[in-house]
Amino acid sequence: MKKRFNPIKDKSSEIIEYLMSSPDIPDDEVLQFKLRLSIEEAVENVVRYAYDGGIGWLEADIHFDQNALLLTIELRDAGTPFNPLEREDPDINQKAEEREIGGLGIFLCKKMMDSIEYCYEDGNNVLTMTKKVNS
Amino acid sequence: MDVKINKEGDKTLVVIDGRIDTTTVEQFQQATNKLMEEEHPDIDIDCTALSYTSSQGLRTFLMLQKSVMKHGGKMVLRNMNPQVKEVFDITGFSNIITIV
Repeated sequence: MKKRFNPIKDKSSEIIEYLMSSPDIPDDEVLQFKLRLSIEEAVENVVRYAYDGGIGWLEADIHFDQNALLLTIELRDAGTPFNPLEREDPDINQKAEEREIGGLGIFLCKKMMDSIEYCYEDGNNVLTMTKKVNS
Repeated sequence: MDVKINKEGDKTLVVIDGRIDTTTVEQFQQATNKLMEEEHPDIDIDCTALSYTSSQGLRTFLMLQKSVMKHGGKMVLRNMNPQVKEVFDITGFSNIITIV
């Protein structure tokens, strides 16, 4: 299922709940936790940074491939071209005093999902995340 | 999400109930702001009913930890559920915040 949200300013929660309410979301609490976290971090990334001031759209798409048992979540926006995967991962061995506030969101997506890819296509940022679901 | 803060002698007891996410993080920040003003704080946070935290929640915990250290105090997070604990582990926050 797919929906375009426009504008997206202050709409993070609505977009997250749209994706989490999909019948494709597996009935497994642990998996739901990982999916919710990845979705929230990825959506927040677009809502906060893609458009200056948040005026713009985001298209959220979720589908499940029955044969491959693969859940795919795709976020598309027409904001400033930006590959969030290029950002360096935070150094998780730093002391509290040295740790910076930030840079954790996409890092968590990488850890919680099986794959995460970015491409710039037809003037859009496209972030695709997948998770294998063993039913 | 609900945050209850109680003083018991020199100790501050905090109970978090629900999810810390994009809709509730501001409320969590406001609740913890008061704790950042204390000298030598001794903060005990019960996470039994904390069902979820996003990176925004982690940031607030980090700010709180930094403030506690600056003011010569200590902070402990208790009874985290395994999923929430995994978020702290993956990000290395388990190394900089005391979790029991």
